[in-house]
Amino acid sequence: MRFPINWLKEYVSLPDKLSVLTDRLTMAGHMLDKIDEVNENRILDLELRGNRADCYSIRGIAREISAIFDKQLKELPLYQDTKLTHALKDFTINAESQFVKRVMAIRIKDVKITPSPPEIRRRLEEYGIPALNNIVDLTNYVMLETGQPMHAFDSEKLGKFLKVRLAKVGEEITTFQDMNIKLISDDLVWADEKSVLSVAGAVGGKYHSISDMTTHVLLEAASYNQANIRRTVHRHYLLTDAGIRHEKELDSNLVEEGIKRFLYLLKKYNWGSIDGGIFDYYPKPVKPRTLILNFNYLTSLSGLIIEKDAVLKILKRLYFNIISVNDNEIEVQIPTFRTDVEGQEDVIEEILRILSYDEISTKTLALEIPENITPDFIKQENDIKNSLTSLGFDEIISLPFVNPELQKYNLLLSDKASPITIENRPSPEIEEMRMTILPSLISYVTKIKNERGESARIFEVGKIYYQKNSKYIENRALGIAYWNKKNNDFRKFKGYLEAFLKLMQITEMQYSSADNSGLAKSFNIRVKKAVIGIGGMLQDTYFTEIYLDKLLDNAAVIPVALWPNFPPQIEDLTLIIPTKTEIGKVIAAIQSTHDQLTEVRLMDIFGDSYTFRISYQSPNRTLTDSEVDKIRKEIFRILRTKYGVTIKEN
Amino acid sequence: MREDILNLKNEAIARIMDVILLAEIDELKISYLGRNGKVNSLTKELKNLKTEERGEVGISINEAKHAIESALNQKKNEIINRESLKKTWFDASVPGIEYKIGHLHPTSIVINDMFKIFHHLGFSMYEGPEIETDEFNFGKLNLPKDHPARSLQDALYIQEPDYVLRTHTSSVEARALSDIKPPFRIVVAGKCYREEKANASNNAMFYQFQGFALQQGLSMADLKGTLFYFVKKFFGEKRHIRFRCKYYPEVEPGAGLDLDCQFCKMKGCSVCKGRGWIEMLGSGMIHPIILKNAGYNPREISGFAFGMGLDRIVMDRFGISDIRSLYNGDIKY
Repeated sequence: MRFPINWLKEYVSLPDKLSVLTDRLTMAGHMLDKIDEVNENRILDLELRGNRADCYSIRGIAREISAIFDKQLKELPLYQDTKLTHALKDFTINAESQFVKRVMAIRIKDVKITPSPPEIRRRLEEYGIPALNNIVDLTNYVMLETGQPMHAFDSEKLGKFLKVRLAKVGEEITTFQDMNIKLISDDLVWADEKSVLSVAGAVGGKYHSISDMTTHVLLEAASYNQANIRRTVHRHYLLTDAGIRHEKELDSNLVEEGIKRFLYLLKKYNWGSIDGGIFDYYPKPVKPRTLILNFNYLTSLSGLIIEKDAVLKILKRLYFNIISVNDNEIEVQIPTFRTDVEGQEDVIEEILRILSYDEISTKTLALEIPENITPDFIKQENDIKNSLTSLGFDEIISLPFVNPELQKYNLLLSDKASPITIENRPSPEIEEMRMTILPSLISYVTKIKNERGESARIFEVGKIYYQKNSKYIENRALGIAYWNKKNNDFRKFKGYLEAFLKLMQITEMQYSSADNSGLAKSFNIRVKKAVIGIGGMLQDTYFTEIYLDKLLDNAAVIPVALWPNFPPQIEDLTLIIPTKTEIGKVIAAIQSTHDQLTEVRLMDIFGDSYTFRISYQSPNRTLTDSEVDKIRKEIFRILRTKYGVTIKEN
Repeated sequence: MREDILNLKNEAIARIMDVILLAEIDELKISYLGRNGKVNSLTKELKNLKTEERGEVGISINEAKHAIESALNQKKNEIINRESLKKTWFDASVPGIEYKIGHLHPTSIVINDMFKIFHHLGFSMYEGPEIETDEFNFGKLNLPKDHPARSLQDALYIQEPDYVLRTHTSSVEARALSDIKPPFRIVVAGKCYREEKANASNNAMFYQFQGFALQQGLSMADLKGTLFYFVKKFFGEKRHIRFRCKYYPEVEPGAGLDLDCQFCKMKGCSVCKGRGWIEMLGSGMIHPIILKNAGYNPREISGFAFGMGLDRIVMDRFGISDIRSLYNGDIKY
């Protein structure tokens, strides 16, 4: 909110240096946003906090300054000689909703509508409200000064029976700014027998407002349930100056001060005569609350020892009433304008901020160090990132939403689940959540291709989301993508996968062809029979997705191997293998022939000819040629009977 | 005599060790092994010995001669090798064959650095769900419906009004308070979401870094000490810090922490909106209502909490000016 310096000075004396004022205000919770100048008067723009409804006024901030700098706050002259009544002449006002906490109203007759005097016009201009006429300007002026919004009706345009009630379905109002609002039954309104006069706490209607022709005025000021007003002003975008005050917890006792300040100024300027007493509906008057402040608690929570006398002084500067004091605690009465001070901790904050947070010492956790409870999966994700970057893959992070043109891929890898969607999407690309990391990877790989990249090796560790059996589920997953412009070979990709899983201490995995719809060359990765990941090819990019929670329990420590004492016999065998034979199974068959077969490695593929390098080795001695012969013959026998494999004749 | 032989051998080998140029080898060869060399002059003295001694001393002289010879040869080869390496043309400026290095995402790098600092202070890392209930995202955090600090437009709803994508990592604090037995110190880094049309400084997804601790005896001084330690370690020991009163519904008392603006050296610029300070994080003592909601008595145990947006920090560190480029594939590694 904007605070003209000259206006503040009317209520409290300010430090000579402006920066001293703004620094302390900032430290005490009202951060300086900027300083500018209007009419050669400097204006402070302070960032106020939503819990300090009392500070949305010149007087509120003047009161803060008086507390911070220990300066006298000047009294606000109020109209004194008016009685409170429960009835107005010619009008009845009924509050028909529990959302109404207090209503005050008064009739003003023989009003002279004129432009406002320069001192009022200037102030409104400095704040940023356009001046209209003396009566409307005065309601705004008093609102800025005291923080209490109020509204003036042309009383000759009103019916006789006024109500403050919830709107009925179908009711509408046109505001004085020509905005048409369709009200709902949660909106609180002022209405007469015929129509809605204003949206309570937010904005007045066009047809009942003050005009140049107005001669009699009905002025109202009220206090409402903050939550209800907040819903209404946000629902209908009515963040008016009245709206932003009423949507916060205003003090119901401020209503009276606001009305009386208005009447004081009205009389001073002689703009009309007050007709009768002030109507006051106030079913549950707000009384100051009393809190106990315990000194030990103050010390333990603040980490600062503050003398009792200093505490008392600060509380008095804040206009808190000291009711009683003993060695352990203070009983303190909180003025009703401090709607934010509800508990002991709030009082402690008050003391600290008036003292300044600079006084708090910096202790670096001298207490006992608690147990480390970092879950395993955080280390796992960290290990994954380190392993994959060491293999030359770049980490990406993407928004977990699927672009409309990629949504067809979102269904690929999940069965019997449906995507989660955002109900209040801000734009079309933020609507459907990913059920697989694949769409994120596709768009990144496409980007790399478009930027004339030669290859893509990327991964993302993130979450996938879906709903199943009306439950929302999110799972941790790893997506990996591989594409190479020149040498786009599945075996290259798989080599990286195998190296990665090895780095993650996963030893016993099997890859098998699968039928993951929509993917070419699709496969599953299993550890101990459980599918931990899937993969395949889309467009010309290889993908795999690994489910991290399933992976987490399968890591084992891989034992260290030593060089054997006796050399192996090594030979290359070229076999002719019928098409559509799974090479993985052939290798497994070779390996399981004999325990002296220590290594089988595929060296070359040419047509249907596969060359394997085979090592025969015993831990106890060097194998003889005839022993190796025997094993080799056994290999051939098994492969021939099981897979119809023949030996390539040289 | 025997001593003379030993001395001569040692002297020769020591001199050979010091040789740098090939020419010196030849000089030493003549001087020790030449016809009038030092070894020969010892041989000539053999005749002055008793006959029975001659055989033994003769063998010693021979051994010394061989030792000197082999030292000379070894040194000679060494020099020749060195010389020939020098003459072979070698271009060290030729580029290496590219080895593709993988990169961590800038946000991961920053998170790792922050985790390390907090690890030293006894903090554990933690996470919670991104799909949250209204209760854990707002209710348990002293943010009831229609609270002035709860912006109606903010959350992305997957099912209004009960399920949201978490709007802050404070939801993890709410989970930890109901799940974990104190004492604990926890930091969380994670994705958060809000209803926002993307532009250069706002995105529907953003990262937050959050910390909280619950332990008997924690005070505002512990909070301030922890934050100052972190800020100085992460941003630099020389940075100016402003620790001031600020309102957040999740804490009481509440505090904001600002850092000096590095762009204008606190003179005021467009980055800091003329303030000279950049708002870095929000913090405070965990609100008594939150503690009570979790079943604790605020007079018996206390806690603090802090949180900050990560993306701005990542962008400043890596010179990225548009938040969208962090998470849309624009980063070229």
